[in-house]
Amino acid sequence: MGEMTPRKRALLCMTGNKAKADRISCLDPLTTATVDQMNAVGAPFPEAHTDPDLCFKLAAAAWTVVGLEGFKLPFDLCIEAEAFGAKLNWGRIDRHPSVETHVFNDMKDLKVPENIMERGRFPLKHKVEERLKREYGDYLPVVNQVTGPFTLAGHLFGIEKFCVWTKKRPLEQVKEALMEISELNIADCKDALRSGADLICIADPSATSDILSPTFFRDVMVPVFKNMTNKIGAPVVLHICGNASGYLPYMAETGIDMFSVDTQTDVGFAKAILGNKVAVGGGVPTITALLFGTPDKVKEAAISAIKSGVDMLMPSCGIPPRTPLANFKALVDVAKCMVYV
Amino acid sequence: MATEKEIIDGFVKAIVEGDEDSAANWAKEAVKANMDAYTLVTKNGGDAMGVVNTKYEKKEYFVPEVLCAANALNAGVAVLSPHMKVDKTTTPAVVVLGVCEGDIHDIGKNLVRIMLSAAGFRVIDLGKDVPHQKFIDTAKENKADIIGMSALMSTTMPGMKRVITMMQEQGIRNKVKVMVGGGPVTKEWALSIGADDRPHDASASVGAVKELVAKLKNERGQTW
Repeated sequence: MGEMTPRKRALLCMTGNKAKADRISCLDPLTTATVDQMNAVGAPFPEAHTDPDLCFKLAAAAWTVVGLEGFKLPFDLCIEAEAFGAKLNWGRIDRHPSVETHVFNDMKDLKVPENIMERGRFPLKHKVEERLKREYGDYLPVVNQVTGPFTLAGHLFGIEKFCVWTKKRPLEQVKEALMEISELNIADCKDALRSGADLICIADPSATSDILSPTFFRDVMVPVFKNMTNKIGAPVVLHICGNASGYLPYMAETGIDMFSVDTQTDVGFAKAILGNKVAVGGGVPTITALLFGTPDKVKEAAISAIKSGVDMLMPSCGIPPRTPLANFKALVDVAKCMVYV
Repeated sequence: MATEKEIIDGFVKAIVEGDEDSAANWAKEAVKANMDAYTLVTKNGGDAMGVVNTKYEKKEYFVPEVLCAANALNAGVAVLSPHMKVDKTTTPAVVVLGVCEGDIHDIGKNLVRIMLSAAGFRVIDLGKDVPHQKFIDTAKENKADIIGMSALMSTTMPGMKRVITMMQEQGIRNKVKVMVGGGPVTKEWALSIGADDRPHDASASVGAVKELVAKLKNERGQTW
């Protein structure tokens, strides 16, 4: 098998083969950047979103400062909407960018610009992924994250409007729009994989079962995610916020390798439903443990997640920028002492 | 001409089924029949949203269905509001609502606004991505009873704690009750940051506001 590297370990863990790794992998495919890292490497938000050098430094800080066993780009969920022409609020050091204006009035207006991969920050993202691969070789994995089709539809049309359309418009039309949007995600992933990315994370926070029914998930989202996993050709982790318990019976059909669960979804329950078909990541609460907790509290949560059978140790959702470095590091510390015997 | 019962039943059914056109039509019938517009909105509209809420809790309905129902209620309110006789002798409680700074997810907050407005409260909706200080300034200007904050992201939830701290620093914490909500916000966490309540959904916010206002009146004797 040769030397175990964080990259090999991550690939084993997220494809459900953690028993073949020396220990559990600990990285954050959702978001890595925190204020402490920005200060440590001199690459703050919002500049790090648009300056290639600062972007590289901050992405690398996941490893150089925290010790997370992998990199992840981009730092936000607005890169796609921006390339479509949405206006962004760029935020500040402790605030992620957000979409200010929507792009289309109606589903029939949806048009993906021909040159979209040349627009906005896509080229910058792929250049930084290339540089990470160049400087860290095959030792550490690079995660390319895409904003999932439902969330992106919310950015493009307005989420409230799009939700109403799921009831008032023909379901086929809604599915087609999401399919078309997913093709952009696929194109982005293909570019990223050419640039050296190893793993793909689909972050679709708005596709939460706090909003959508398991039936909608089964009938619309499953085929859309399936289209993505079929075409991407690399291991895929899917993150959906909130309580996703009702989605779990359909999760294997999406073809994803790992499902990342938020705090409202019980890790043990997810493991029981998904069995050996889909790996489970997450389990360490971002707010109570990582942001407001202590290193000891993080360790306790991490050990409990591992006991519940989690395949990759990671925060349950996007890490709040003010998360103390010591808490984030505690997560990695736990992974390092978990040796399978 | 439809009977009052038929109108009420039709109006309620239209809301529960999320049919805007039908809700507006039944509202027009109600106006023709000279029915009390205020009762139809606050009582029957509220009952309809209660049914919707029960279906939501039983997971028969999800957010899209609730949004359609709220839109239908709104369509009815648009027809009925010019005909509402507002009781001038009591001033309604004032609720300042908004989504925390950095967060643009406002579906939940909008539902709360619709429910509270339909229940007769004066709601000042600051929208989404609301700066911390703006909650406090608006509450002061309008002598508000309640500040309601929503966050859908674990990255923006800490803003709620900050606003509560700022309210303490600026000496208005004892004048205004705080309720919070949003997907990742648990009751336990809400109470731990010093919020007064975390209604579990939009419908529950009506009862929560009533309780908080009653508590507030006991504590401060109606003066701001």
